[in-house]
Amino acid sequence: MGRAQYTIRRILQAIPVLLGVVTITYFLMEAMPGDPVSIMLGPSPSAQQAAAIRAKYGLDQPVWLRYLNYLWDVVQLDLGTSLYYEVPVTQKILERLPVTVLLLVSSFTFAIVTSIPLGIISAQRRNKPTDHIARVVALLGVSTPSFWIGLVLIIVFAYQVSWFPATNLVLPWASPAEVGVDSQFDVLVTSLHHLVLPTVSLGTLQMAALTRIERSSMLEVLGEEYVKLARAYGVKETTILRKHAFRNAQLPLITLLGLQLTSAIGGAVLTETVFSINGMGTLIITAINNQDFALVVGTTLVLGLVFVVGVILTDLSYAYIDPRVTFEDAD
Amino acid sequence: MATTTGSDTDSRTENESQPVESDPEQPAANVGWRYTVSQVRRDPTALAGLGIITIAMVVAAVAFLDQVVLPVFGIEQYAIAQAVWMSPNAEVAPQLLPPAWTTNVFGEGTWVHPLGTDDRGRDILARVFYGTRIAMSVGVIATTIALVFGMLVGSVAGYYGGRIDDVLMRAVETLYAIPFLVLVIVFMVAFGRNLTFAMIGVGIANIPTFARLIRSRVLSVREEDYIEAARAAGVRDRNIIFRHVIPNSFAPVLVQATLQIGVAILIVAGLSFLGFGAQPPTPSWGQMLSQSRDYMLPDPWFSIWPGLAILITVVGFNLLGDGLRDALDPRINN
Repeated sequence: MGRAQYTIRRILQAIPVLLGVVTITYFLMEAMPGDPVSIMLGPSPSAQQAAAIRAKYGLDQPVWLRYLNYLWDVVQLDLGTSLYYEVPVTQKILERLPVTVLLLVSSFTFAIVTSIPLGIISAQRRNKPTDHIARVVALLGVSTPSFWIGLVLIIVFAYQVSWFPATNLVLPWASPAEVGVDSQFDVLVTSLHHLVLPTVSLGTLQMAALTRIERSSMLEVLGEEYVKLARAYGVKETTILRKHAFRNAQLPLITLLGLQLTSAIGGAVLTETVFSINGMGTLIITAINNQDFALVVGTTLVLGLVFVVGVILTDLSYAYIDPRVTFEDAD
Repeated sequence: MATTTGSDTDSRTENESQPVESDPEQPAANVGWRYTVSQVRRDPTALAGLGIITIAMVVAAVAFLDQVVLPVFGIEQYAIAQAVWMSPNAEVAPQLLPPAWTTNVFGEGTWVHPLGTDDRGRDILARVFYGTRIAMSVGVIATTIALVFGMLVGSVAGYYGGRIDDVLMRAVETLYAIPFLVLVIVFMVAFGRNLTFAMIGVGIANIPTFARLIRSRVLSVREEDYIEAARAAGVRDRNIIFRHVIPNSFAPVLVQATLQIGVAILIVAGLSFLGFGAQPPTPSWGQMLSQSRDYMLPDPWFSIWPGLAILITVVGFNLLGDGLRDALDPRINN
C-alpha cells in the first residue's frame, strides 16, 4: 500500500470514531436534566412562546429524528446555534479553537524540547546523580496536578516576583494597535511572554511522561546488539548516541505523543480556567454551566477531532521514521 | 484486513501505547501474589510508595468512619475529629490565617492551626486530612470499575477476534477520543453532579486503558500451547478466559491499576477544582484549591497545602507502580 493510500485509510478509519463521539455526547446531553426552553424563556414561559421555541429549534420532534437531523447538519459542517451566545456554534468554535491549539502546540513544544535531552542524559548516565535527579523530576511531573502547577507559578512568578503575567493572554495574531505596541514582532514577543506560565503549567505532565519513555526507550536501544557491536569497534559514545541509538529510540516517544493529546486537552480545560484564557476549555465549561446543548456537543466533537487528527499525524510520522512499519499492513 | 487481530497498524499502536506493559512477544511471566510481595519487599522504591499509600488509606479510613459510618449510628458527624483535634467544618478561627511560622495581612500564624485557616476560618490541616477520603475512595473505586469492565471488553475482544474485536475496539477507541476530563464532566452533567457519578464517570473514561492492555495480553497468551491444550481438552471459552488468560496478565494489569489510581486522583482533583466533585462543605483537595484561587496574593499558603497532599498521594501510587513494574518485569531483572 502506498503512502497516500495509507493516509487515506487512516482518515477513513477516523470517521466511525467521530461518529461515535457525536453519538455518545448527543445522548448524554439528551439525558441531561433541565429544559432548554425554560433556560431561554425564564422559569414560567407562556405555552405559546414555549411551543414556538420548540418548533423553531425542532425540540418538538422525537429524539431519534433530532439526532439524525443533527448528524445531517454536522455533515454539512453546521453544528447548530448556541443558545447562550446566540451565534452559530461553528463561529464560536473557530474563534476559540486557535487559542487552545496555540496552547497545546506551545506546551508540546516545551515538553519535547526538554524531555528528549533529559531522557537521553538520564539513560546515558544510568544510576548516576544526574539520572536520579532527572527521574525525580519526571516522577514529580507525572504526579502533580497541572492546575496546581499553574497556581504555584502564578503565586511565585506573577505575584511574588512579577516576571510573567498571570492573565490576559495576548495572541500572536492580534493587531499591534489592540496590544498597544508598535509592530507585529512586538506582539509576538509579548505573546510569548504571556504564554510562558500556561505552557509550563500544561506542558510539565507531558514533559515528565515523555522523559520517562525517552529514558527507558534509550536504555533499551543502548542494550541492542548493534550498539554493542559499534562500541566494540571503538565508535565514540556520542556518535553511537547520535547515529545509532537516537532515531530508533524515538518511536515509542512519538506514539506516546499522540496518546498524550487526550490528557493534554483535559489539562487545557484546567489551564485555561486557571489563567482565564478564552479557549475551547473555558468554552465547554461555559456551555455546560448554561446547558447550551449544541455548544457542548459541538465543542466535544471538535476536541475529539483535534485528538483524532493528532493521532493520525503521529501514526504518519511513525511511518515516515520507521521504514519497517510503513506500509506493510495487511489489507 | 487480518481476520483475528484487526489491522497491523492497530495492534502496533496498541502494543506501543502501553509503555508500562511488558512486551507481548515475551512469554507471560507467571507470577502470583506471593512472588509479587517477595519482590516488592526487596525494592525500596516500591516500599516507599506502599508506605505513603498505607498512611493515606489509614487517614481515609478514619475520615470515612467519622463522616459516613458513625453518623449512621446516630453519632454526630466529625465526632472523632472534634474529640482529637477539631472538626474540618468548624468555623472557629479568624479567616485566612497563614501557617504557624509566618504572618500575613490577616494576622499571625498560630500553632492551634499549624497550616493556617481558610476563607471561612476552618482549619486547613483538618480539611486536608479529611480530603484524603474523597481522593482515595474515588481513585480506588473508579479504577476498580475501569479494571473490571476493561478486562471484560479486552479479553472478549482479544479472545474471539474478528468482528467482535473490531466492534469492541472501535467503541473503546471512540471513548478514548473524547478528552477524559470532558467525557467525565458531560457524563456528570447528564446523570448527576455528585461523587458517585464522578467515580462511575472516571471509571468509564478509564476503560480503554485496561481494555487495550488486556487485549494485547490476550492476543499473545492466546497462541500459547497450554491454551491450545485447554481448548483441545474441551474447556469452555469462558473458563479459558477467566482461568488462564486473565491470570496470566496479572503483572502488567497490577502495575497499570496502581498507576491508574494515581491518574484518577489527579482527574478527580481537577473535577473538584472545576466544581464537579464532592459538594461543599465536604472537604476535598480540588475544591480547596478552587477556593484558594481568590486569595493567592494575600494568602499564598492556602493554595499550597491541598496541592502538596495530591502530589504526595499520587507520588505514592507512582512509586509503587514503578516498583512493581521493575519487580515483575523479567527483562529488567536480567
